[in-house]
Amino acid sequence: MFTQSPDLLALITTLKMAGVTTLILLFIGTPLAWYLAHLRSRYKVFIEAFVALPLVLPPTVLGFYLLLALSPQHLPGKMWQELTGQQLAFSFTAIVIGSVLYSLPFVVQPLQKAFEQLGDDVVDAGKMLGAGPIDRFFHIVFPLTKASFITAASLGFAHTVGEFGVVLMIGGNIPGETRVLSIALFDHVEAFDYAKAHALAISLLIGSLILLALIYLLNYQRPAEKV
Amino acid sequence: MGHLDINVTIEYDNFTLDIKQQLPIQGITGIFGHSGSGKSTLLRIIAGLIKDAKGDILLNKKTLFNSATNSFIKPEKRNIGLVFQDSRLFSHLTVKGNLLFAATRCKTSKLTFSDIIELTDLTSLLDKKVTKLSGGEQQRVALARALLAEPELLLLDEPLSALDKQNKSLMLTLLNKVQKTLNIPIYYVSHSLAELQQLADNLLVMSRGEVSHFGNVHQIIHQLNNSATIQQQTSLSLPIQDHLADYGLTSLRLNDAQQIYLPLLEHSNLESSSEKQHVNDEVKVLRCFIFASDISITKHEHSGSSIVNHLAAKITHISAQQRNTLITVQCQQQVFYAQISLWSTQRLALKIDDDIFIQFKASAVHTLNNRGEKTSC
Repeated sequence: MFTQSPDLLALITTLKMAGVTTLILLFIGTPLAWYLAHLRSRYKVFIEAFVALPLVLPPTVLGFYLLLALSPQHLPGKMWQELTGQQLAFSFTAIVIGSVLYSLPFVVQPLQKAFEQLGDDVVDAGKMLGAGPIDRFFHIVFPLTKASFITAASLGFAHTVGEFGVVLMIGGNIPGETRVLSIALFDHVEAFDYAKAHALAISLLIGSLILLALIYLLNYQRPAEKV
Repeated sequence: MGHLDINVTIEYDNFTLDIKQQLPIQGITGIFGHSGSGKSTLLRIIAGLIKDAKGDILLNKKTLFNSATNSFIKPEKRNIGLVFQDSRLFSHLTVKGNLLFAATRCKTSKLTFSDIIELTDLTSLLDKKVTKLSGGEQQRVALARALLAEPELLLLDEPLSALDKQNKSLMLTLLNKVQKTLNIPIYYVSHSLAELQQLADNLLVMSRGEVSHFGNVHQIIHQLNNSATIQQQTSLSLPIQDHLADYGLTSLRLNDAQQIYLPLLEHSNLESSSEKQHVNDEVKVLRCFIFASDISITKHEHSGSSIVNHLAAKITHISAQQRNTLITVQCQQQVFYAQISLWSTQRLALKIDDDIFIQFKASAVHTLNNRGEKTSC
């Protein structure tokens, strides 16, 4: 099915977008999840609601406002163009920005839950043994919540792979730049090429199923142990 | 001898902790109080786990925190160890992994890994997962882990409260041995006066967020007898004189002419005492206590009684308490407390300076191992 270069290109773009997005999500989602897990404020619910918004918001709504923000007529897009000399909307960077926002809850929520369950007890024990914050994270927190990190990364990756609305709104359909698998599938359907559409659809379906099964298997084998 | 100077206040919605006290950085200092008295909060402030207190704390004249100057040394920089009520071992590591976590982060090297393993008897457990250990074993690992960080001061927050009687006894013996061997100052928080009576040199008593008593452990326990917050008792620390194995008795030397008999000490107690002697070249000393309700008073010595402990004494104080009377008597240098009924006090016409005899059975003398299910508070 990938003998034709447009679909292969779409697959590479998709994997690249999902990979970069997942790395960024882990980088910004981990401190955000830690902050939310330890925040004791009445305003916490508003931040949580903002993070969870992509779960209920139609992707086209998020895509529409991002399109406006990233266009040269508005400050973020204007600043980007002044700095790089290139337009931000309809670029690979734009679909990564959109994907990060769209998949944010899929990374932040499992991590926040894991940090809340872990609590402060073992972290305090680490402090009393002379471990600093970075040391505590990599040698206590991360090993004890590793399964949740794998879950968060897998969900973030899988959700990004399946993106359509946001990518279409802010990325368009530029082969090799913003044309991802879900858009390629839509193109095949529009062209009544159901055989190719079916090949892509079944590949995405099986791939997602395998990924989810692996996540559940991992969580099943690693029940939380508390001493 | 160094000191910890505490001058802290912290307010919560329905509780205020207000402590101004100098504590010694030597031996074992017990911190006693009932639930909600603020003892664990105090420990967490000393450790640096609670940041929002007001005032200051100085450890050997080094400021740990001072709210006026906004200075605060982080817990990981204080060189203070803390063993929690729940062991808080790292479940992703083995016993050895947990111990190495502390050892590799320790900046000094006075203690060796093997010394601590041997002292806490953990050699056979090193490769075990911590989730497979019993409660007593987990607390031993937690103690060894804290020791391997070589703290300047070791805080213990009710470390025995989740253990059964046998493990409590073993851990108390171990803690005594650790303190004497390594000479690490320990602050030991507990709501069990029996534990503190066995271990502590000094006792700080907290009530409603404030210090109510502080001083020598025996003197403070005797002072508490008048506050009706504990089961009234005589707290003793006496040299072991003899073991009468054939009669199932051990004798303690009270003074030149008098002994106290108690049930023959079990192996662990004997071992603990001999280790004390070996380490500090001290006389074998045993801590014990006798509940005031277990001591009776006679005006004349009963030579025909089956009760083994008869001591000549003089009444120094009489305190009426509802239907009972707490009689304080002096037996040469040692004070005893006897609780008898008001009716008996009147019937015997007891008054201050009367020469009397106190008597109690051997089984009324409680130590770490023979005190059964009774509790002293």
